Amino acid sequence: MTAPTVRFTDERLANGLRLIIAEDHLAPVVAVCIWYAVGSKNEVPGKTGFAHLFEHVMFQGSRHVAKTEHMGLVQAAGGTLNGTTWLDRTNYFETMPSHQLELALWLEADRMATLLDALNQENLDNQRDVVKNEKRSSYDNRPYGQWFHKLQEQLFPPEHPYHHPTIGSMEDLDAASLEDVAAFFRTYYAPNNAVLAIAGDADPAQARAWVERYFGEIAANPRIPPLGDVSLPPTLGAESREVIEDRVPLPRHYFGFRAPCFGDPRLEALEVACQILAGGKGSRLYRRLVRDERIAQDVAFFALGFVGGASIAAGQATVRPGVDPEVVERAFEEELERLGREPVTADELARARALIETFELEALQRVEERADRLAMLATLLDDPDLINRQLERYLAVTPAEIQAVAAEVFRPENRVVLTYVPAAGAARGQDEESAA
Amino acid sequence: MTLEEILAARPSPGQPRAYNFPPFERTVMPSGLQVLAVHVPGRPLVSANLIFLSGAADEPADLAGATVLTARAMTEGTDRYPGLELIEAAERLGSTLHADASWDAFAASVEVAASRLRAALELLDELVERPTFPAEEVARLRDERLNDLLQMRAEPRRRVEQAFSQAIYTPESPYSRLAGGDESTVERLTRDELTAVHRALLSPERAALVVGGDLTGLDVPRLAEEVLGSLARDGSGALGTSAGSKSPLAGRIPVADAAVDRPIVRLYDRPGSVQSEVRIGHVGLRRHVPDFHAVQVMAAILGGLFNSRLQLNLREEKGYTYGVGAGFDMRRGAGPFGVRTAVQTAVTVPAISEALKELNRMRDTLVTDAELAVARDYLVGVFPLRFETPGAVVGAIGGLFVNGLPDDELARYRGQVEAVTAQDVRKAAQDHIHPDRLAIVLVGDADVVGKDLEAAGFGELEVIHDELPGEVDEPGAPQGDEEGE
Repeated sequence: MTAPTVRFTDERLANGLRLIIAEDHLAPVVAVCIWYAVGSKNEVPGKTGFAHLFEHVMFQGSRHVAKTEHMGLVQAAGGTLNGTTWLDRTNYFETMPSHQLELALWLEADRMATLLDALNQENLDNQRDVVKNEKRSSYDNRPYGQWFHKLQEQLFPPEHPYHHPTIGSMEDLDAASLEDVAAFFRTYYAPNNAVLAIAGDADPAQARAWVERYFGEIAANPRIPPLGDVSLPPTLGAESREVIEDRVPLPRHYFGFRAPCFGDPRLEALEVACQILAGGKGSRLYRRLVRDERIAQDVAFFALGFVGGASIAAGQATVRPGVDPEVVERAFEEELERLGREPVTADELARARALIETFELEALQRVEERADRLAMLATLLDDPDLINRQLERYLAVTPAEIQAVAAEVFRPENRVVLTYVPAAGAARGQDEESAA
Repeated sequence: MTLEEILAARPSPGQPRAYNFPPFERTVMPSGLQVLAVHVPGRPLVSANLIFLSGAADEPADLAGATVLTARAMTEGTDRYPGLELIEAAERLGSTLHADASWDAFAASVEVAASRLRAALELLDELVERPTFPAEEVARLRDERLNDLLQMRAEPRRRVEQAFSQAIYTPESPYSRLAGGDESTVERLTRDELTAVHRALLSPERAALVVGGDLTGLDVPRLAEEVLGSLARDGSGALGTSAGSKSPLAGRIPVADAAVDRPIVRLYDRPGSVQSEVRIGHVGLRRHVPDFHAVQVMAAILGGLFNSRLQLNLREEKGYTYGVGAGFDMRRGAGPFGVRTAVQTAVTVPAISEALKELNRMRDTLVTDAELAVARDYLVGVFPLRFETPGAVVGAIGGLFVNGLPDDELARYRGQVEAVTAQDVRKAAQDHIHPDRLAIVLVGDADVVGKDLEAAGFGELEVIHDELPGEVDEPGAPQGDEEGE
């Protein structure tokens, strides 16, 4: 089985907007995905959560689009849509029946050009409340809910932009003003800070003409502030540990490591290692901790790629009742460290490769995923063509490369270990905010 | 033209490209197994789904959870592939074997390159025909389920779902339980029960193999006959119910979906909660309803669309929540109808009041032309997007089989949605939303919201103090509660 090649064009408008079009007519659907090179890493102290709050404001209307109308128009056209914010970027996407492509492009252009015309205190206050409820329901009111924020806090020093959570703090969200929102928009939401990818059932000439028409006259911002030096030592330097009491019935360990940046072939080797470690029932951690020794209820291990100094490799194991959490931690760490000491077997690697091949093919079937990946690779690596080399790069990873990256990453002095334990009879949890 | 002039003119849509739900071919094997094959050109990954019409709703109460546990245990080894060898064999094909049971059916599925379909089907056949259910693995999976039940109690979102099902169904209804069972029955399950469940479900006359993808050069019925032709004929159908029925629905005893028909206001105390998880609803509908399409349009306007009435009110106007939805979970029996949201603790009562207002408004007034148009156009327009991949197409065809729906159900779907009127929508709301017997179930901080809830006049408040998870050493201690996964 070979992966179908994603053919695409890659160009820049005069105002700097990067346009990628990947034509394919298998299904009568087309995806539009726009990546802005701004994420929570661009936030400054006192203004955390801002990139994400801003993403919400982007759905509150622009000069020619009323509040909530963006969603309404896309859905009435039979489309689906959303936006997401992460450390390195913010993205917005619409998947449309192909005859509705122009509508999606117009909507994205109108808010890139005229968002501030519709911005008002009422909408900002409303979305601030919505985002605070998102924080409550996704993190604060959930057992184990703060684990990723705690990993960020301990894997990255306070002055590093990955130190704080993308969702931000309640205080900073409360402090966000209309002026902040306007300044953020003027700074980062410029065509020269964006990549627009279109994938699926589109006529490239027509799509290009529409993009020129709607986006071509939007002014660039020549003064987008550079991020500054975000480089980091490759390892943490000393192990960081924390025990957290929470309203949980079972203890759970979370593990975090600094890992090579997104785009570094060593991260790809690490991703193959993750598959061998925890990718399903045939994996090492599952087999040993869950199936054979029966000390863990579940296990996971994965890599999250970032470009700003380091990625995160992270995992978890939920401790079975009656088992000493230390036993689980030791077994988990032994398996990670064993990867650095001895090569994986030929059969393990063959199974991992076969599964990764299927995952890639499965993902790339969908126009939304193709558009998202093209925009991601252009934004973060300036290399959209990696979409066509990614699978062969995974398949070329050798046992020696896996061993080398595991030995580099899975070191005690590069490790954060969070241990959640049931709160001793505590009625009140550690939720950080009572009802305001 | 200036940018302003360009942006001031809204584009109009182009000519829609024709779309038809991919036609599928049905072949009935000598064993009675139906083979449904659907060619989706250009899709090198093929989805295969082997479905048996026995699900958790068919279980006797004292075996609750047995079907789900049986499904999970089926990948734990077979005669020819002991232990993890079955999983490993699938992984070498680049596949993950899935086996799971829902309320209505058991399904084993695999996604694989078309060139490896035969090998993957052989593994599916192993899994369904010759699982060995090793006693020690069954015990492990049983304990994992018991541990998961502990975890569930600590998660407000899962806890409230369980409590909601328990509130709206009578205890005799399987839907009042968790599909995966609770402590009261799961603890007792051993390989003997699982073997019995397995024997009962393995009836080819109540089974279908659905295969979709680029099938060029593949003779799916022949492959199915060669690989699955030996599928045992001694299956007796679901445990304790419609033994040996020939067609999927004929002669089948409907599941008991009896409703609790009085209002309930029930708060599960979770001290310190910064949000209240809220469910409001009652027993809803089975999939077989004559006004299915009107119900879909009504539910979209009420709580399905991004700009549904509930969303516009509770999120976009009031900022009470990150999101609110409402809808009917249609099963072979009447699944729940519910409004689902999590709201900031301080606004719990006003949020419930607003949700109730929207339920009543749905019944009392006609939806506007604009609301109707958005909902219809969305459901019709998004249809091709829903079926972009073979996995989605196979899933939808499997749904037709499970629910005993006609083959052209999906082909007719868009036309039927387009025909729905505002009067149809109001009638659907009046017929299927019952404000006089709503259950309001919450997981939240009783100290903060209890008094207001009592004063709000929604009904008599029951406050339940769950045993707090935290000092549990061994699973199985808490008394049985129910859930509705």
